[in-house]
Amino acid sequence: MLEIRNLHLAYGKLVVLRGISLHVAEGEIVCLLGSNGAGKSSLLLAIMGLHRPYRGRILFEGEDITGASPQYLVRRGLALVPEGRQIFYPLTVEENLELGAYHRWREEGRRAIQADLQRVYELFPHLRERRRQKAGTLSGGEQQMLALARAFMARPRLLLLDEPSLGLAPKIVSLIMRTIVRLNQEGLTVLLVEQNARQALEIAHRAYVLETGRIVLEGPARELLHDEEVKRAYLGKDYREFTA
Amino acid sequence: MEQKDLEYLPEEDWQQWHTELLQATLTRLYHRVPFYRERLEKAGLLPEDLAAPEDLARFPTTTREDLSQHYPYELFAVPLRDIVRLHVFPWHPNPIVKGYTRQDLEALRKLTMRFLAAAGLRSDDILHIVLEPGMAVWIEDLKEGAEALGVTVIPPSPRRPEIDLRIMKDFRASALVTTPSLALRLLKVSERQGLALPRSLRLLLLLGEPVSPGERALLEEVFGVETRLSYGIAEILGPGMAYECEARQGLHLAADHLFAEVVDPETGKPGPEGELLLTTLRVRANPLLRFRTGDRVRIHSERCLCGRTTPRLEILEPGHEERWSFRGVKIYRKALEGLLREVYGSLPAYRLRIEGDPEAEPVLEVRMEETLFHPSIVALHEEAHRLERAFREFFGLPCRVKWVEA
Repeated sequence: MLEIRNLHLAYGKLVVLRGISLHVAEGEIVCLLGSNGAGKSSLLLAIMGLHRPYRGRILFEGEDITGASPQYLVRRGLALVPEGRQIFYPLTVEENLELGAYHRWREEGRRAIQADLQRVYELFPHLRERRRQKAGTLSGGEQQMLALARAFMARPRLLLLDEPSLGLAPKIVSLIMRTIVRLNQEGLTVLLVEQNARQALEIAHRAYVLETGRIVLEGPARELLHDEEVKRAYLGKDYREFTA
Repeated sequence: MEQKDLEYLPEEDWQQWHTELLQATLTRLYHRVPFYRERLEKAGLLPEDLAAPEDLARFPTTTREDLSQHYPYELFAVPLRDIVRLHVFPWHPNPIVKGYTRQDLEALRKLTMRFLAAAGLRSDDILHIVLEPGMAVWIEDLKEGAEALGVTVIPPSPRRPEIDLRIMKDFRASALVTTPSLALRLLKVSERQGLALPRSLRLLLLLGEPVSPGERALLEEVFGVETRLSYGIAEILGPGMAYECEARQGLHLAADHLFAEVVDPETGKPGPEGELLLTTLRVRANPLLRFRTGDRVRIHSERCLCGRTTPRLEILEPGHEERWSFRGVKIYRKALEGLLREVYGSLPAYRLRIEGDPEAEPVLEVRMEETLFHPSIVALHEEAHRLERAFREFFGLPCRVKWVEA
């Protein structure tokens, strides 16, 4: 579904990606691991058309989308849930969700979007209860749910997720992860960037490990979960928990 | 969640997979293996200079001499504490050592299982293994892979062929894995001693050396079995590296673990026939870049009748005297010459003769030069014994030393 070939990206003279190749097949959850500054978020922004790579290609369903505009990519079926959620605090939950479908209003009309809202509320029952509440008053976990749900309103086929568990309590993280699996079962393909390596590997099919702008490892997520190197570098304190 | 088996990947997807895996391998080699970092720097190359699998041709190759010279630690890509097994292969000046992480062993077992399953082995089979002690690494891999499939395994020990025939008969072995020459030896022993071949056998797995179509047909007829071929190199990945499917149209390379190139051994130019170079794609402890196998192959890339999309190897007879094979155990010319140098201090003129008959041990003819000459016959005999012993200890094979006049 998504194929990235030899992507090079720089901020001025600072090279952040040095020939990245990776792919996400339809129906997969693929996880991208790496320490801070490895280039994970830059890669997601490049896919979404927010950074322009100086070399390499990005293909979506066979079409070269390198350098395409974010607006086009959203219509094409990609959606990004950025790090830090970036929801609109003064607006209500429902208004935020409706904005997720902004590009579809003219073509599909209110009815289609209302139907999607109902579906989103089924997937995220918490949000239904809080539909009239201002987004800024939600808890961190609820805000993350809202960001996810808003992306879903765009009816994407490929969802890019940047650190959805950032700053959330473990219980909420589990809930977010379960929701991602649920969305995946609904047919959504997911590329997930995550610091919380253990939980991400538990829900992913495959994973790539990024190190200073290059991929050093690819493998089935289940295998990487038990990989000495990955454990040392990315699983940190959790390590004992699952070797015991 | 489980990953699908890549053997049936659509042809057009291999390019992407291979680019990704080769790039990751090169990055690991560059960052983790001092030997390769130096090689790449010398060639003025960085991991990102590979943008497509074809670019691999620009990168340096690895020989068995490299592995020996950088013994013991310089080729590991992981800290020693991650290595859970070490295998040592005879070479000069130093042995070749190969380490395995836990993941490497797991991958190896899965590859062996895949090969055995593709050959038609099932959990109700009884597998008898007949291999020389010099192939100990293979024996271990096969045993573990077969056991993981649920097969009953009878591993080899240094016993006479008559005993092997008897055990196979008494335990109704249904599959036999051995080398072509050892299979012929069993045949010969059964004829000579009037022992019946085990009628319970249905499958004969041949590995370790090439087999001619004539010999293969003979073995199938006399044993009354189907045969399947497999190819592997213990220094890389063992028996599941390439294997035949039911279509018998060449040996499917495990392209999800290895990237193959075929080049002219003299010029290094790619071609449909030549020396096989292999780059490991998922090996963790001892990844190898463009390893020169010394084996001559022809490669076929069109899709196989079985549906697998991996390239198929046709293993050809080795064209040059770089290597001999006795009962499937490899004797490399360079290793042998290293041994002779160690025993004599210099390299005498020699000739190694291996007859087609697997019962006749290899004969090493050494030219009697002045420095080796001894007026006493007893001393000459002792000298010959010393070399025979050294040969056996080194290769794990018997050998007869014969002096030849200068």
